[in-house]
Amino acid sequence: MNKMSLLDLAKGRTVLLDGALGTELMARGLPLGACPESWNADRPEAVREVHRDYFAAGSDAVSTNSFGGSRIKLAGHGLAARTAELNVAAARLAREVAPADRYVAGSIGPTGKFLKPQGEFTEDEFESVFAEQSAALAEGGVDVLIVETQYDLHEALCALRGARRAGSLPVFVTMTFNAVPRGYFTLMGDTVTRCVSELEKAGAAAVGANCTLNSQQMVDLVASIRRETVLPVIVQANAGKPVLGADGRVAYSQTLEDYVRFVPDLVRGGANFVGGCCGTNPAFIKAMAASIARRTS
Amino acid sequence: MNKDDLFREMKKAIVDGDGPAAGRLAGEAVRSGLDLLEVIDKGYVPGIHEVGELWEKGDYFLPELISSAEAMKSAMAVIEPELERARLHARTGGKVVIGTVEGDIHDIGKNLVAAMLQAGGFEVFDLGADVKLERFIEKAESVGADFICLSALLTTTMINQKRFVALLKEKNLRDRFKVLVGGAPASHRWAEEVGADGYAENAVAAVKLAKRLSPGRS
Repeated sequence: MNKMSLLDLAKGRTVLLDGALGTELMARGLPLGACPESWNADRPEAVREVHRDYFAAGSDAVSTNSFGGSRIKLAGHGLAARTAELNVAAARLAREVAPADRYVAGSIGPTGKFLKPQGEFTEDEFESVFAEQSAALAEGGVDVLIVETQYDLHEALCALRGARRAGSLPVFVTMTFNAVPRGYFTLMGDTVTRCVSELEKAGAAAVGANCTLNSQQMVDLVASIRRETVLPVIVQANAGKPVLGADGRVAYSQTLEDYVRFVPDLVRGGANFVGGCCGTNPAFIKAMAASIARRTS
Repeated sequence: MNKDDLFREMKKAIVDGDGPAAGRLAGEAVRSGLDLLEVIDKGYVPGIHEVGELWEKGDYFLPELISSAEAMKSAMAVIEPELERARLHARTGGKVVIGTVEGDIHDIGKNLVAAMLQAGGFEVFDLGADVKLERFIEKAESVGADFICLSALLTTTMINQKRFVALLKEKNLRDRFKVLVGGAPASHRWAEEVGADGYAENAVAAVKLAKRLSPGRS
């Protein structure tokens, strides 16, 4: 039997993604400053466990442990030579624990470097690096690719082109916007309109926003994304800002209740895929699942 | 070109992020025997101020800030050797040791703050990313820094900003340096909680903050 595609699923109902991954790995002992992707080889069971927790919480799809898995980013940890291996492993680990009716999205984050003239890299170099990562994630068996947390539209377009060059998987792209006095802009100054229209033109299968903004701010942003496109829209908000908890650990300013309160508004505003970003965990996803179920029942 | 026109052109070169023009105008100022300290103060620095205002209004973004900071560098590369020859020093807001804390390899924001502080007249010692906390102190002591600026992007590494303040206290050096914190997860509240002297949301705000706390002030 052919499973319905993730995009087709989103035509019928709101699709639930997962929440933060790195902090879940830290909770399982990933040391400060260590490369999270290295655990795809060294501590595979810990990575599987996080994915399992998110599926159990109700995620329809989880993102692989490959956010920093581009050759450029891995080079910062001296792991560039293991790019293919760590990305294939990232995809396999999620695939192995995904129930038959659930999905795996191959996560692709920014390189952390700039294109010329602000940086040293050319668009061709970025595109090749992203194509390499995409091919490895595809080989490991992901259903879609998700290019995330992009603060530079040009880099996002390189990733989108690289991913499309590498194969035929649908490519989702989420940009990171900041609230400035004149509205929402990326770090590089790209507007919502420009991001959405360029990504759509370049063949993105779904577009949206993640990180930096909390779930209340995302309600405002999702409406402006929705106005610009007929594509499915993705929203993954942060749980507010980090604060120092009473126990001396970092906590987030938006409580679970306050975060989830805005989920119905996100969906009403046009989000087809919702999930979490920094500060969220399986408990958030579970509460979001309940909120979405209430809305559709 | 008379002096006022020259100053206006200098300001424009900075605002436009036009490095070649900024350098060429600095050369003209040198050849005309102008007071180079006045050239910096009345020609170039107003450009950096305007860039800051444009950023705060949301008209300028990271690419424009980088271009303007680079243009400022082009001008200073011409002016500084001349000042040295005349045994003069550009007025400095103070010495700054800056870096991204250990465990964190993210340096985009830190680089921008370093560039803007330098453009804003501070002497900047950039230690890079993933910097051991002790290293900040060693460097700050050896150069006689006024400020130590700590960047962190991750919620898991920002805790090192707190550890750093504790380390300074432990070494009885807390009053020697002003400690400023920044990075995506940081906030004014965070700075208060960890006992830092200040927080700035972005590179432009960082320059303002450092100027406000500058020892040369008042």
